[in-house]
This record gives sequence, structure tokens and C-alpha cells, in this order.
Amino acid sequence: MIRTTIIGLAGLLAAAVTAPAEGAGSAGEISFNRDIRPILSDKCFACHGPDEETREADLRLDTYEGATADLGGYFALDPHDPADSEILFRLETDDEDELMPPPETGKPLEPGEIALLKKWIAAGGAYDPHWSFKPVAKPELPPVSDPGWTRNGIDHFIRAGLDAAKLAPNAEAGRRALARRVTLDLTGLPPTVEEVREFVNDSRPDAYERLVDRLLASPRFGEHMARYWLDAVRYGDTHGLHLDNYREFYPYRDWIIEAFNENKPWDLFVTEQLAGDLLPEPTREQLVATGFNRAHVTTAEGGSIKEEVYVRNVKDRIDTFGTLFLGLTVTCAGCHNHKFDPVSQEDYYSMFAYFNSLDADPMDGNKKDHAPVVKLPNPDQEADLERLRAELAATEAAIREAVDGAEFREPDEPSPPRFADPEEVVWIDDALPDGARQTGPWNFEGDGAPVYSGQVAHRQSAEGVDQHFFDKAKPPLEIAADDVLFAYVWLDPDDPPKQIMMQWFTRTWDQRAYWGENNIDWGKDGSPSRRRIGDLPEAGQWTRLEVKASEVGLKPGAKVSGWAFTQFGGTVRWDKAGKVSPNDKVPLFDSIAGWIAHELQLEKPTAPAKVLEIIRKEPGKRTDGEERRLREHFIEHVFAGTRGQFRKLHEEKASLERQIAAIGKKLTTTLVWKERAEPKPAYILERGEYDHKGEEVSRSLPEFLPPLPAGAPNDRLGLAQWLLDPAHPLFARVTVNRFWQQVFGTGIVKTAEDFGLQGEQPSHPELLDWLAVRYRELGWDTKELMKLLVTSATYRQDATVTAEKLARDPGNRLVARGPRFRLDAETLRDQALSVSGLLVEKLGGPGVKPPQPDGLWKTVGYSGSNTVKFTADTGPEKVHRRSIYTFWKRTAPPPQMSIADAPPRESCVVRRERTNTPLQALMFMNDPQYFETARHLAERALGHGSGDARERLGFLFECAVARPPQADELAILHETYLDHAREFAADPERARKTVTVGEFPPPEDLDPAELATWTMLASLVMNLDEFLNK
Amino acid sequence: MNPLHEHRLALTRRHFFRQGGMGLGAAALGHLLGQDAMAAAPGMKAAAGLPHLPHFAPKAKRAIYLFMSGAPSQLDMFDYKPKMADLFDEDLPESIRQGQRLTTMTSKQKRFPVAPSMYAFEKVANNADGAWISELLPYTKKMAKDLCIIKSMHTEAINHDPAITYFCTGDQLPGKASLGAWLSYGLGSENENLPAFVVMNATWSAKRDAQAIYNRLWGSGFLPSKHQGVLLRSQGDPVLFLSNPEGVERNTRRRMLDALEKLNRKTLESFGDPETQARIAQYEMAFRMQASVPELTDLSQEPERTFEAYGPDSRKPGTFANCALMARRLAERGVRFTQIFHRGWDQHGNIAGDLPLQCRDVDQAAHALITDLRERGMLEDTLVVWGGEFGRTIYCQGKLTRENYGRDHHPRNFTIWMAGAGVKPGIVYGETDDFSYNVTENPVHIHSFNATLLHLLGINHRQFTFKHQGLDQRLTGVESAPVVKDILL
Repeated sequence: MIRTTIIGLAGLLAAAVTAPAEGAGSAGEISFNRDIRPILSDKCFACHGPDEETREADLRLDTYEGATADLGGYFALDPHDPADSEILFRLETDDEDELMPPPETGKPLEPGEIALLKKWIAAGGAYDPHWSFKPVAKPELPPVSDPGWTRNGIDHFIRAGLDAAKLAPNAEAGRRALARRVTLDLTGLPPTVEEVREFVNDSRPDAYERLVDRLLASPRFGEHMARYWLDAVRYGDTHGLHLDNYREFYPYRDWIIEAFNENKPWDLFVTEQLAGDLLPEPTREQLVATGFNRAHVTTAEGGSIKEEVYVRNVKDRIDTFGTLFLGLTVTCAGCHNHKFDPVSQEDYYSMFAYFNSLDADPMDGNKKDHAPVVKLPNPDQEADLERLRAELAATEAAIREAVDGAEFREPDEPSPPRFADPEEVVWIDDALPDGARQTGPWNFEGDGAPVYSGQVAHRQSAEGVDQHFFDKAKPPLEIAADDVLFAYVWLDPDDPPKQIMMQWFTRTWDQRAYWGENNIDWGKDGSPSRRRIGDLPEAGQWTRLEVKASEVGLKPGAKVSGWAFTQFGGTVRWDKAGKVSPNDKVPLFDSIAGWIAHELQLEKPTAPAKVLEIIRKEPGKRTDGEERRLREHFIEHVFAGTRGQFRKLHEEKASLERQIAAIGKKLTTTLVWKERAEPKPAYILERGEYDHKGEEVSRSLPEFLPPLPAGAPNDRLGLAQWLLDPAHPLFARVTVNRFWQQVFGTGIVKTAEDFGLQGEQPSHPELLDWLAVRYRELGWDTKELMKLLVTSATYRQDATVTAEKLARDPGNRLVARGPRFRLDAETLRDQALSVSGLLVEKLGGPGVKPPQPDGLWKTVGYSGSNTVKFTADTGPEKVHRRSIYTFWKRTAPPPQMSIADAPPRESCVVRRERTNTPLQALMFMNDPQYFETARHLAERALGHGSGDARERLGFLFECAVARPPQADELAILHETYLDHAREFAADPERARKTVTVGEFPPPEDLDPAELATWTMLASLVMNLDEFLNK
Repeated sequence: MNPLHEHRLALTRRHFFRQGGMGLGAAALGHLLGQDAMAAAPGMKAAAGLPHLPHFAPKAKRAIYLFMSGAPSQLDMFDYKPKMADLFDEDLPESIRQGQRLTTMTSKQKRFPVAPSMYAFEKVANNADGAWISELLPYTKKMAKDLCIIKSMHTEAINHDPAITYFCTGDQLPGKASLGAWLSYGLGSENENLPAFVVMNATWSAKRDAQAIYNRLWGSGFLPSKHQGVLLRSQGDPVLFLSNPEGVERNTRRRMLDALEKLNRKTLESFGDPETQARIAQYEMAFRMQASVPELTDLSQEPERTFEAYGPDSRKPGTFANCALMARRLAERGVRFTQIFHRGWDQHGNIAGDLPLQCRDVDQAAHALITDLRERGMLEDTLVVWGGEFGRTIYCQGKLTRENYGRDHHPRNFTIWMAGAGVKPGIVYGETDDFSYNVTENPVHIHSFNATLLHLLGINHRQFTFKHQGLDQRLTGVESAPVVKDILL
């Protein structure tokens, strides 16, 4: 099936495009690359190809030398007497043992293929290097029948092809169709009615170019272009394997969007992603870009073997590198030499060596910030950090100043130590302790709300019993004898609780203290599992709550790893919490000698190690510096005379450090690359198995491709330079082909992922080369390249297809008509949001969760995963964003995306399917989000014009498809309007139900029956084939 | 069915033939449109598969796969090892283990003590030498004469995610097409109103955290995405977005669709894009599904004895028993491939607590399904498969007592069973050593197993390929994966 299509197309193109473009004369001439190699590759190379391991009869047909080798008096391909070639005999013999390919392979040659092979051999059986491995040269623009039709170079190649096929291009599309098409293609959103009208009425000669420039300048451009890239790099918001927990990676996605918007030249775009970390003094943004090599799926499945996971991760990087930049299916060579392309297993593992030295644990630990990561403060956090760090520096300076200015003289007769109150151990203040797993609403609030300490306090409002808590803190809080636990609390005078409670987790939560009524019936009343401490404190002011650890059953040595803040009703704010150990009284001295004597007799000295070292030296043997150090420490920490002054400064310092740490914990992180200091050795892995190490290999590249450019380092940075080198035959071709595919629906090479021997031949090889060279000449200016594509006469054609063109070129590979195909999943949803007026145009940020049917995560998720439960976001800022921001759980992607052919983002995909299924129809009609957009479009229509139904119908239709309806279309719409109106008028209750879907309640001033009627009409136009297609 | 709807369908059908694509004959149209449109056109044959498939007359027209996710303990259910009773708490001999790799959950254990099964086994008559089945599966014992129990399954993967992905898609890494997607692609659907490949995720009873499953297990991978499994859900709409929005009734939808068709037909006239024709047909298919799916999931016409046979859980949506009953209804309606994923089989510990619950979930219902199919004359052309992604170790993970123990992952041998179409009933195939640690006889690799499954459905797996990334991709991989002829009738 597939084969016939390819041959059919090849035949068509042979007649149509390639011959004249090659300038080679008669259409009947055989081209090795176009006609012969695909047959040999598909039918012969598996046994007679580059892989020695599986080569049969010691014969290889992938090289001329191999094919013409002397096989003992005869030749597969006889260089002297082609007619005597063994191949000819083997193609058609009746002897099943001799016939090639062997019948059991199930790959017989088609009669047409045999004819081609015979013709080729008769003409001498010449070989030609595979087309995509030959260097790119900029071809001359071919002559065309109607030079006036052409607008740029693209059109020369396309028109020449059409001339050869004796097809005429379509006329230019109407302005409305063109405005809609180009707006969707460059921004992924439809034009507004006003934008279309503006363009229609713009009589300037360069009106179209102006439109294109405006679209290219829109921030929506980057959002649209980025999503194609995200498919290729398999971007997701979860790890993708096993637990499939959340991972924080969206800054990388936002980097891509921004790169397109700022029109970062493609060479930088690629270099920074591949090797940003290896650039001299990389910026934070360049590090963010290196997330490219971290985007693959990861696991931390219990029982996994690290080495196996490490190998899988590296392979995934190479596979993506190969598909995306080389258009080669290098994956195959992971297990054995490639069967078709000249990539050996050694080549594969030599490339492996560029990507294997990530300085990280291959297991993701189920953590959102699987190291290495960079931390990315937002502007507010940046400002806060700057201020706090300044304050900290000032406090430290004040301490130093106080030390320097302290008046101290060693007394002749030291007095005995005095004991100061113990210091608090603060465990919770602005942030939770390390390792804490939080549950429930931890609403940290500052900015004018009551706060006792630091910047924020945590608030909870409840009806009945509710709580917020954490567990799993590491290290835990260790309880000593006579310890007192404390926390600060503020009860809302307007909404006081009936009871408040704190709980501490050791092995259980059965350590509870409460104040106020006894409504919460956990544990046993009057015991450590439910101990009443006292009445509720006075509302409207901060109160310190204290509980003796022993009262709630916490014995010395107990390890507290969790703390719960519980309440019955009301609004409660909590702040600074921790413990005090009354026995840890701090001894203070008025003499250094006295202090030293005291320290030296302690079983466990309290001075820091370095100070202790000095203490232990004999007084005479201390250097001046050491003496000074000793004195400074004494003054700051031990001297009774200045204790009060320093204690305050120390508290200030500790508080600032906690605040800085708290912000640090909240900073957005993103996965980046960090190279190990010493590269990890790489080995050939037999059969691709991680535990079958063969020979060690070093970084190198397949021989059939050019070497690294002179002076390039042999690392990922060098790899980037290699790709970008003009001598590289694949990179630029593969890249421009994807842009072409994006706009025209099918690539010039249809198999965008495979430019190797098994890939399809280009429909317009010279056009591909011309674009590849042009892109480089433009300085890798992506916006200019896109402009070139969409301003061509080729692109601007009307999309109508005649029966003849459909029969001659069903896939529109010759482009004798404008592109028309179903929009992608993201564009479909974004378009619906846009025409309804609901779309929130906000750039970047964490993934958002618009509603989806219940249970989709739960039915597949690991019960302990942090993405097992889907909770839809609320509020337009979250649910009406563009689809590129929709949270992507890779084991259960958003149904609105996957139903319309979005890949799951588990592996690299550079070409999406476009299917047409009933499940899509159901979604467009019934998905509450789609139906919600219909209602809002209906509201727009009802607010439009004077109230005449036909006028409104015209507006509705125009919003959807950028043109007013024709008379017969309007008649159909109007008839349907009357039907629906009758129906809903007769059943207002049903109408009311119809219009309540979505974020916003229906406007009260609209009659539900009328709104329901128009909602159905809006849904109708939003299901039109014309709406779903570009 | 609503008579008005019937009338409209008839109208639509006539309309289609009369107007069939710009005056081209229906046959020519079909050729031009490809199968998409033809398949979806009302009144046409249901979605066809590939023209040269099946390769030969199939024994099975359809299959039902009961997937036990997490890896059931063969040692406590089917693989009877009486000699182990004397070796309680003795170390697994190195001669058996032979340095095979272990998961890192137990590789650091100081000892590998033998944990004999605490369950009583009984040898029940089948059509050969009988089959040993444990007391956990009283209903399965009753159908030993229907089952082909394969004790010698093996795989390379030792962790759940890669292993289950391997079994369901033929590769440990994500990105490949699932078994059901292959079948949909190759054989198409027999029912124009239902998808060819339906998936159900059943609830489970074990208390332990259940392993995740993944959309990719029924995904289409590199195949066109229309072949991906359609989830038949027990919560909300059985098929996503099946129900009209509240307040929109069936006649409202019909009215809207009539207008949509008229308008789309105008688009077809002006652009001539065959995809438009296909789209019109798909909207009609969607409309028909809105009737056929609720009819499918409506159990109110099932007699009381059905629920008695499948057990009390069968009335509860989402349970395995309910899914099994649904699978029979799907089979009756010609759905090519139904897969039920039942999770919770990962007994690293607490076999005594959790394994009986898991067995209870599936035992009676699986028996009822087999019996039900046989009584309806459908077992002869319906293949039923039961099994997980690997097995479990003889040695104990964690604390070993006479009353309880745990078992780690064991890929080197495990047990599954098949029944129905073309499979020898009442046999046990393959053997393992005394420790159920190594296959000693007739190993069956999971690729071979999938090859056999395809064979029963009339497909030569070597020749069933899809070109992707320059390769002829196969469900059964590149290495040889012989069909297990010994178990075929």
C-alpha cells in the first residue's frame, strides 16, 4: 500500500518535477537516487547492506564497489557487461531458492520495480551517493513558463514542476481566506473580524507584506512556533515514566517562546540548547536552554538499575539529536550496524560519548528539580533577595563593628560563669524545614496581613475541622529533656475559631495539644494524644503558645518529622514555631581564660571546631591572628558584658537567613545540563544492552559526514559548530524542511524524520537546497524564512482543488493549490477561545490545568504520584490560556490535545498525524470547554448590531471563518436559528441548563432561550469544516 | 431506536450516495478518499483494515486481554512447587540463581530465603495431565479444561514501566504502537458504530500502592492515532465527550448536524477537499455512537443470572467483574480487541493480605466470561488472554514468616493463560525448575507470545509491518519470534 503510493508519487514527480529541475532532459531517464536506491534499500540492504553482521553471501549492494565485486567469475553487477549481471537473473528466476529477495521475506519486487532495475542495469548500473549526503549547493532558479507569476525563488521551483506536469497553479486566494490562513500559520490564532476587514480594505501595494510583518512581530508568533519544537524535544511537565511526578521545566518552554519572539538566529538557537553550558561564561538564559538535553523521560522506579537507566537516558538524547538535526534514524545503530544508512554501531556509541557526561544521578528521585537545575527568581523575588542580602550584609557589618568596638579587658581575677536563657530553635518561619512534604492549604501571606516574624505567616480559614501540615522533614527535630514546643498564633477577631490544635508527628500523629473547645475528637481526651493546654488566646493579637514536650508524650530522643496546625472553624494565622531547650543554658564569662578553662573541662566542648583548635594550643604558641580570632569569638558569643547586644544582632541575622532560605525554596527551577569534570567513558554496548560492554570508544562522528570543523572542540559545542558548518549536508536541509512542512502540511521530504536511504525522496530537491542555502544567507533569520514561505505566490494560491488535480496529485506535493488541512490540536482550541473572546493572552509561566473529564489521571496513575489526582484550575487566567501552557502529564496527556493527534511527548516527534475521527467530532461538539466558547461567541453575537437575526448570523459566521456567509449559507443558518429558537422557547428550563457551562455564569440580562439558541448556532459554526481547517 | 432518527439516517444514506463526492461514482470516490471516509460513511462496510489482511483464515475474530498489571505471583497461583515446603527460609542456591540480576529493591538483601507458597494447590483435571491451581482461584479450577496455561513465559525487563510497555508495545521504550492499535490498523473494525480497540481500567482491591499504567499502553505510537485504544470509562461519559451538553437533546443535536452537513457540503462543493466528505461522515458516526455506546453500557436488559455468574461486583461500574461483562458485550458487538487493565498485583510484601483480594477480583469474573462466551457460541472465535508483565521470586522480599511474605520481580519465568479460538484447551505448556526460577522446558518469550496472538487472528507477524523511521516496524521486534505452534489446535 505504502510502497505503491511512494512509487506512484515518485512516478508522478519523475514526470513532473525532478527531471526539468535537474535539467537532465527526458523524463524517462533513470535516476539512481530517485528510482533505484529506494528499491535496493527497502528490498536488499537488510541482507546486503552496510551491516556486516547480517550480510549474506558476503555481498553488499549499498556501494558500487560491493555490487561489482568479483564473486568468483561472476558479478552481482557486472561492470564490463551489465547484461550479464547476476542480479538480472535473480530478479525473475522461477527457482525459489535463487529468487531475490527470498520469498520468505515477504518483500517481493513489484513488476514496476523489476522493470526499473533492468533499465538501470541496461544503462550501465551507475551509482550515485545518496542525495542527502551530498553537499548542499545553491541551485540556479529554473526558467518557468510564466515569470510574472513568481514572487520569490520558491515559486520558480514550484512553477517549473507544475510546468513539467502540465498543471497550472491556482489563482491567488481571496484576501479574506489569505488573511485567515496567514494569521493562523504565523500566530496559531485566527484574525479578528476587524483585522480581516482592515486587510481587505488596505489598498497599498504592500498590504500583504505589512500584514505578515505585523504577525511576525506579535508575541503570539513565538507561542505558535514553539509548540512544534516542543513536540520534537518531547517537552512535558512530568517525568514521563513510572510515578510520572511533576517536574519543573517550564522556564525552558518559555525560553523557546522567547527565542522565537526575539528572532534568535537559528545557529544560536541550536548552539545554546545543545551546548549553552560550554559557552564562555554562560548566562542564566543560556543555561536554561540546555534543558534541551534533559527533556527526555526519566524514572526513579523502585528497583531500577542505575546503569540501565543511565544508558536509556543517553540513548534518548542521541535519538533526538539524530532525528531533529540529522534527519537520521540513528536509533537503529544502538543495537547493530544500521541496516540502510552508513551508521555503524561504533559510530552510534561514539556519538553516545558526547551526551553521556551529565553530572547527575540518572534517576530523577521523583523530584521536581532533578539536579542539575538553575534557580530562577522572578523580579519580585530578585528584589526581595537583593534587599535581604543587603540587610544581612549590614547586620554582619554591625556585628563586626560591635566586635571591634567592644570594650574588653581580660580581668586579673576571672569571675565564675553566669548563665543566660537558652536560645530558640526555630523550625518553621516563612518556610518549612528541609524535606518537608506539605499537605493542605499552606497560605503564606504577608503584604499587610498580620505577620509576627519574617515576611509572611500562614493562614487557614475553615468550616469545621481542617488543617495544614507537613511530614517527612529531614533532619527531624530532636527532643531533649524538658523541651518546650512553641508557636505564635493570631486569631481573626471577625472569624474566631472554636478550637485550635497542634500535632507532632513521630511514628504517629498521636501527640496533640489544643486550646479552646473540645470539638476535635482525635486521640483520647486528657491524654498526650489530646491534651488541653488552655483557653483560646485573645483574638486580634499575636500570642506565643507553649507546650511542654512531655505533656504530649514526646520523650527525650523523640524525633519529630511533622507538625500539623489544626483548627475548628474560623480564621487562624500561625507564625514562627520551634522549640526551646531550658537545659541548654548558655554560660557567659567575663574572662577569656575562665572561658577556656571551662571549655577544656567539658566532655563535649561547645566552641566551633576551628576555635577549639586554638583553645587547645598552649597560650604561648598561638599566633597573633589566632589570638585575635579567639578574642573576637569570645566577644561575640561568650562575653557576658556584650551578650544582650549580640543576641539581638544574632536573632536578626538568623531571621534574615531564614527569609533568604525561604525564598530559595520557592524559586522556580529548571533542568539544565552540567558536564562532568572528567568525561565518562563510553563503550560499544553489544545488542544495545547496558550490561554488555564492548570496546571503549571516544567521541567521533560517522565517516560519511564531514569532520568537525577545524578548531572546533570535540564536545557538544563542537557538535553544534559541526551542524552549522556549510559543509554539513543534512542540518540545514532537515531544518528548512520542517518549516516547509509546518506551512504546507507535508515536507519537501515527506519523511521529515528520515533523510536516510529509507526516507522518501524530496519532491523538489533543488528547492530544498535553495531554501537551505537561503536560510544560511539570511543569517539563520527565522522570521525572514517564514516570511519567504508565506509571501510566495505558491503559498498564496487559492486552496480549491479540481477533480483533475486531486487525481493527479492527491497529496498536493506539487503545490498546484494553496495549503488546506485540519488545524492542529492546540490551534483548534486556541482558535475557539479566541473567537469567543475568552482567550487570555499572557506569556509564559507554570503549566495550567483547564478542565478535563474526571478520572483520566487517577485511572492510570501510581497511587503515590503527585500527579495522580487532577484538579482543574479555576479562573480565566488559568483556564483560558493558550494550549501551549496546558499542563502536560506525559502518561496521560490532555485529552483535548491527544484526541486531535498531539503526540504524548514521550519521544521525539517531528511530524504529526492528521486524522479525522468521530471522537474529534464529539469533542468539538460536547467538550464543556468548547461548548463554553460557543456560548461566549453567542454572547458576542447577541451584543452585535441592531438585533436582526440575519445580521447576527452573518457576524457569527464571519467571526468563525473570516468571511460573511453567502446567501444560501445564510438561509441554512436562519432556518436552523428558527428551529432552535422554537425548541428552546418551548422549554426554558432546558435552555437554562444549556447556557450554564463554563467559568462564568450567563449574563442575567439575556433570555436563556435566546442565549441557548445562539449557543447552538455558535457551536454549529465552530464545527464547520471550514473552521476546523486552515 | 428512535424512529425519527432511523428515518433521518436513511435520508442521510441516500443523500450520501446521490451526492457522493462531486458526481464521481462511489467506487472511484472510495479510491480517492482512502479508507477513512469510506469507513466512516454510513451504510458502508465498517472500517476496513489492510487489504491483504488477514494473511490466512483466522481462528480468532476478536480478542479479550485481561492484563494483570503489577505481576501476579505465579508461585501462589499456578506454578506449584511442592519441594519448596521443606526449604522454608533456606537460602536460594546459587546454582539456581546463577548470578542473574535482581532489582535494586532486593539486590542488597543479605539473604534470599525461600518462601514456599502458603496456599494449598489442587491438581484439577484438564484435557491432558491435569493442572495444578491454588486455592486462591476456585473458579479458575472449574475451567481448567478451557485453559491453555503457559508456565514458561519470560521477558528481559525487570521493572514495571519498561516491562509493561514491552509487553503491550513490543519495546521497553515509549513510542511504539500497542497491540490493539496494530490490530485496529491491520484488521479494522467489525462494527461501524464502535471503535475497533476498546480499553477499560478496572478498580482493584489490594491495599498497597498500585503501579501506574500509561496511555501509551493503548497508544498508537507511530501508527495513525485513530488506531489508539478508546477508553471505555466507568466514570462520567463512557467515551470521552460522548454526551451532549446538558440541555442539548438528541433532536437538538440532529438539527444542528443536519445544518452542519448542509453547510459542509457547500464547503465540499467549493473546495473539493475529500477530507470534508470524510468529516461529514465522521460527524454522523459520532451521532450514531451517541446511541450505540449507551446501548452498550446499559446493563438493565441483562438477566439476573448474568450478574450471579459474574458475581456481585459486576453491578458496580468499574470493577473487574463489571469490565469483564462489558468485554463480553463488546465482543458480541464485534469489537476487535478489548483490553482490561487490572492493577494492584505488585506484592513485594503482604502476599497474605493482598493476593487473595486480587484473586477474588478476577477469579469468578474470568470464569464467567469464558463460560458466557462458550454458551453463546463465541468462545470458538474469541481469544481470551489472562496475565501480567512478569512473575515473582521464590525468595522472600522483606520479612519471611509462615503466615506472610513478599516477593520481588522475576522476569525469568511467569505464568499466563489463554483460552478460546484456536488454542488447545485444557493443557499446561512449559515447565520451570523446582524454584520456579528458570524455564526448563518450552520457553515462550513475550515476542513469541505476541506473534502467536497475531497468528490466531490470521496475521503473519513477520509480514505485518509499518514503515517508520526507515524501518519495517513490527510488534514482535527484529529478532526471531517463532509462533508457539505447540499450543495451537
